Amino acid sequence: MFNEKIVNPNELRHWEGRIELYWIYTSGEAGDRFFKALKDEEKFIAAKCKKCGKVYFPPRMYCEFDFSETEYVEVSGEGSVRAFTVARLDKDEKPLEKPEIYAIIDMDGTDGCMVHLLGEVEPEDVYIGMKVKPVLKERGEREGKITDILYFKPS
Amino acid sequence: MKVERISGLKFHKKQDVAIVGAGMTTFKRRLNETGKELSYLAIKQALEEADMDLSDIEMVVMGSAPDTFDGLHMKGEYLLDGSGGSDRPYMRVFVGGGTGVFAPIAGYWHVASGLADICLVVCEEKMSSSYPHPQSAFKYIWDPILDRPLNPNLIWIFALEMNRYMHVHNIKHEDIALVSVKNKANALDHPCAQLAEKITVEDVLNSEPMALPVRRLDVSPPSDGAAALIMVAPHIARQVTDNPVWVTGVGWALDTTMWTNRDLYFPRYVAEAAKMAYRMAHVTDPRKEIDVAEPYDPFDYKELHHMEGLGLAKKGEAPILTKEGVTARDGDLPCSPSGGLLGVGNPIAATMGVKACELYWQLAYRAGKRQVAKEVTTGVCQAWGDLMQVGTVMVMSNKR
Repeated sequence: MFNEKIVNPNELRHWEGRIELYWIYTSGEAGDRFFKALKDEEKFIAAKCKKCGKVYFPPRMYCEFDFSETEYVEVSGEGSVRAFTVARLDKDEKPLEKPEIYAIIDMDGTDGCMVHLLGEVEPEDVYIGMKVKPVLKERGEREGKITDILYFKPS
Repeated sequence: MKVERISGLKFHKKQDVAIVGAGMTTFKRRLNETGKELSYLAIKQALEEADMDLSDIEMVVMGSAPDTFDGLHMKGEYLLDGSGGSDRPYMRVFVGGGTGVFAPIAGYWHVASGLADICLVVCEEKMSSSYPHPQSAFKYIWDPILDRPLNPNLIWIFALEMNRYMHVHNIKHEDIALVSVKNKANALDHPCAQLAEKITVEDVLNSEPMALPVRRLDVSPPSDGAAALIMVAPHIARQVTDNPVWVTGVGWALDTTMWTNRDLYFPRYVAEAAKMAYRMAHVTDPRKEIDVAEPYDPFDYKELHHMEGLGLAKKGEAPILTKEGVTARDGDLPCSPSGGLLGVGNPIAATMGVKACELYWQLAYRAGKRQVAKEVTTGVCQAWGDLMQVGTVMVMSNKR
C-alpha cells in the first residue's frame, strides 16, 4: 500500500536525468593473458600461487590470501556443475522465450569456479556434479571476451 | 541553547597509533593494470617496508573516490581481493578528494580504539577508465536541479574560488604560480612522479587558459595509482622498527553543501578540521610547532588556501611565505616536499601517497632525496574534496 498521495510526477516540477559517461575497462596483467589465450589459441589459463599452491581461475597476478606472486598454468577448461538455476524471467522480470540454465562450474585442475550458461541439455537433466565442457565460438568470431564461450555442455 | 562544540577533547584512545610502513605506485595513465592490481603493488611495498606479511594484517581500510571513475557500482567490494581484504574486517571510506587523508584517519580509529593492533590502509584510483574525460564525471556530483543544467565543470568552479581568493587579499597570479613552479620541481626527486618539470612563473602565466584565472599549469593532472600505509599499536611498532612515526591528532569537517553560500576565500572546513587535530595533538601554535607540511595542492592556489586553513600562515600571508622561500624544501616550513599533486599526480584517493605517506617518510627520515633540510619532529598533512567542502587533517610526530 502506498502512503504517498502524489504518484504522477507531472503534478510537480520535475527533471529527468541520466549520467552520460562510458568506460573502457581493461582486464589487467593476468586477465589480458587469459583472454588472448582463449581467443587465439582456444586455451584456458589459470594462475598458481608460488607460495600456497592455490590455483586461481580466471588467473590473477597475485594470490589474494598471501599476496605472493603467481605463475601461469594451462588447464583443460572442463569442469563439473557445483550449483545451477533455471531462469524463466529476464533481469527486467519479462518471461524468457526459452529458459536459461546458469551454473557455477568447478573448473578442473583449479581452486576456482566460473559462472556460465549450460547448453545442449534440458533443465530436468542437469544435476550437481555433472561433468561439462566449454563450447567456444568459431575462431573468426571470437573477440577475446567471456562470451567467446557460448555455453558449457555435458561431456 | 548555544553549545560550544569540543570535538576531539573528550577522546580517550585505547592505545597510541604508529605508522611503520608505506608504499605507492607510479602515478600515470595505467591502462595495463586493474585497480586491484595497482592496490596489490602498493601494499606489497608497504608490507616490505614494515617487514610484514599479509597474514599479519588484522583489518583493512580501503579508500577510493567516486564509483563513476572506474565505472563500477560499489567498487570498494570490487577492489577487495587486491586490497588484502579477503577474510578479514574490511571497509571502504570515501569523502571525494579528502579520502587520501580520511582513509588513514579511519585506519587510526581501528587501532586507537583497540579493535585492531595492525591495520592496513590502501587507497586506489583509476581515472583513465572514464570517458569522455574523468572531468565529465564531476558534472554529476552537483545538484541535479540547480547546478547540473548549467553544465558545471570543476575547473571553472575552482576558477571562481581562486578569483575570490585573489580579490580579497589582492594576490597576483605570478605569486600563486610560484607554488606550481616549486612543487613540479620538488617532484623531480620523486620516483613516482607524472609531471615533474623545471618550469618558470612565465610558463604558468603563458600556459593554455582553461577557465581564467586558471591555466593549464595551475592544475594537477588526472592519474591512476595506489598507495598504502600500515598503522600499528605501540607494542607492534617496537618489534618492527626503531623509527615509528606516531599519529598524534586527527580531524575532519564538512562545510555546507550549498557551496555558493560560502565566502570562497577561506577554507573554513580545513580550519575546523585542523582545530580538532591540533587540539588532540596539543599543537597550540602551528606556525611554530609544525616542521613540515603536506597541504592538498590539486591547484597551485589551493596549497596557499590550505596553508591558511591549517593555520600555517595568516589569511593572505601564504603567497608571501612562498615568495620568501619559506615553503621550499630547504625553507623553515617546507610545504609539499613530495612534489604534491601538481608534480607527482592527482589520482584522487591515492594522493595519500604524496600526503600521509610522504609525511610519514619525512618524519621517519626515509624520504631520500626529498628529505627536507631542517630537523623535523612534527608535521601535518591534509586533503580536501567532496563538493569542495571537506577538510581532512592528520598530525604526525616522530616523538611519542
